[in-house]
Amino acid sequence: MPRNRKYLRLSSLTSERRTNVRLESLTYGTQPMLNSFDISTSALVAQRARLNAISSNIANMSTTRNERGEPEPYVPRYVTFQTDTNITSSGGGAGVKIGSVDYSTEQPNMKYDPGHPDADAQGYVRYPNVDMTTEFVDALEASRSYEANVGVIEVSKNLMENTLRIIA
Amino acid sequence: MNPINSPTFPSPPPLLNPAMGPAQSGDTSFKDMLFDSIREVNTMQLDADKAVEQMFTGGDVSPAEVLTAVQKADLAFRLTMQMRNKLMDVYQEVRDIRI
Amino acid sequence: MLSTLFGTSSVPLLEQVVNFTEARHGVLAGNIANIDTPGYKTRDLSPELFQEKLKEAVEASHATTAPAYGYGNYGNFASPQSTNAISRVDRSFAAFDKVKDSYKSILRHDGVNVSIENQINEVVKNQQEHNLAVGILANQFRLLRAAISERAA
Repeated sequence: MPRNRKYLRLSSLTSERRTNVRLESLTYGTQPMLNSFDISTSALVAQRARLNAISSNIANMSTTRNERGEPEPYVPRYVTFQTDTNITSSGGGAGVKIGSVDYSTEQPNMKYDPGHPDADAQGYVRYPNVDMTTEFVDALEASRSYEANVGVIEVSKNLMENTLRIIA
Repeated sequence: MNPINSPTFPSPPPLLNPAMGPAQSGDTSFKDMLFDSIREVNTMQLDADKAVEQMFTGGDVSPAEVLTAVQKADLAFRLTMQMRNKLMDVYQEVRDIRI
Repeated sequence: MLSTLFGTSSVPLLEQVVNFTEARHGVLAGNIANIDTPGYKTRDLSPELFQEKLKEAVEASHATTAPAYGYGNYGNFASPQSTNAISRVDRSFAAFDKVKDSYKSILRHDGVNVSIENQINEVVKNQQEHNLAVGILANQFRLLRAAISERAA
């Protein structure tokens, strides 16, 4: 997560972007070995939400109008994570959840283009302040994180299979 | 060469099945030993069943513990079964001795 | 006597668990198949409610079961006290069968649209429970077979 961005903190979790819904209602009580699956899954859900935000930013890199058609540039959004103590395992592990979805407070890029329909009085067009390189690196990080968590799920499944071999 | 009754000679290893202890204890009859080991096997089986129940009704036991308990009960039962088979063979042999 | 062969072991409980995990697998597979259907609400068989029902059945069976063969009198298996215990064990099985009939009340239709990762997570956890229960069940049957055939190996 780049540290030099300024974030405006929204009130937490707009409803349609929230994907880590009520995981605690799906757990198998306090079964020790099965809780590791829940923790890895919470990470998968969180990383996928982050990837969604990044792909939305990249897709809207040149968007100069908002959804109502007014000349308001797209505001990049960023997802921040938070430890979720609702999903725990014995030994003190905890899951992850989306803490908030923040809008960037950086100034939009100004480009001089008087012929553009969205140019203002001085001839500048405001473009969203999305740096494609940074977004791409974030996307790679999110995807590697996703793979790592899937790997952990594989290891958990292996553990259970080997445990079964006690009575095989 | 150390003689057998030298003080440095190591003591014989303990028997694997504590229920079948050495006969010099004197007080326990063979019948009691046999029934004791059967009762122990039953207790282990009941404990394993209880652990399985706890695991599947939301208890706090880990699968490894439960499976170990189940396997221990299984092995104890098979050992007792084998002991009983040997006893039957011994009895058959004794019965076949022609006087 | 034959119907009480599995009475004091954990076999009826394990049977119910295996039934439940199989049924739940079907429901979750349906959720995953419908992941892109607009307006689809995920369904699930709640494991907590199942565990409660199972606990009730277990307690009911304990309340009516006495040890079938008293160890105080191992020379005398046919005592009237022991035959009474056998008929009580018979009636306790009905409690376990009731668990299977209660699946409809455990089914939940109110799932908010959770993601595919959650559904797959539930499938995997369900699979682990299923494998565990089946493994222990197989072990119990093998044990009974060892007892019946008098072969310890």
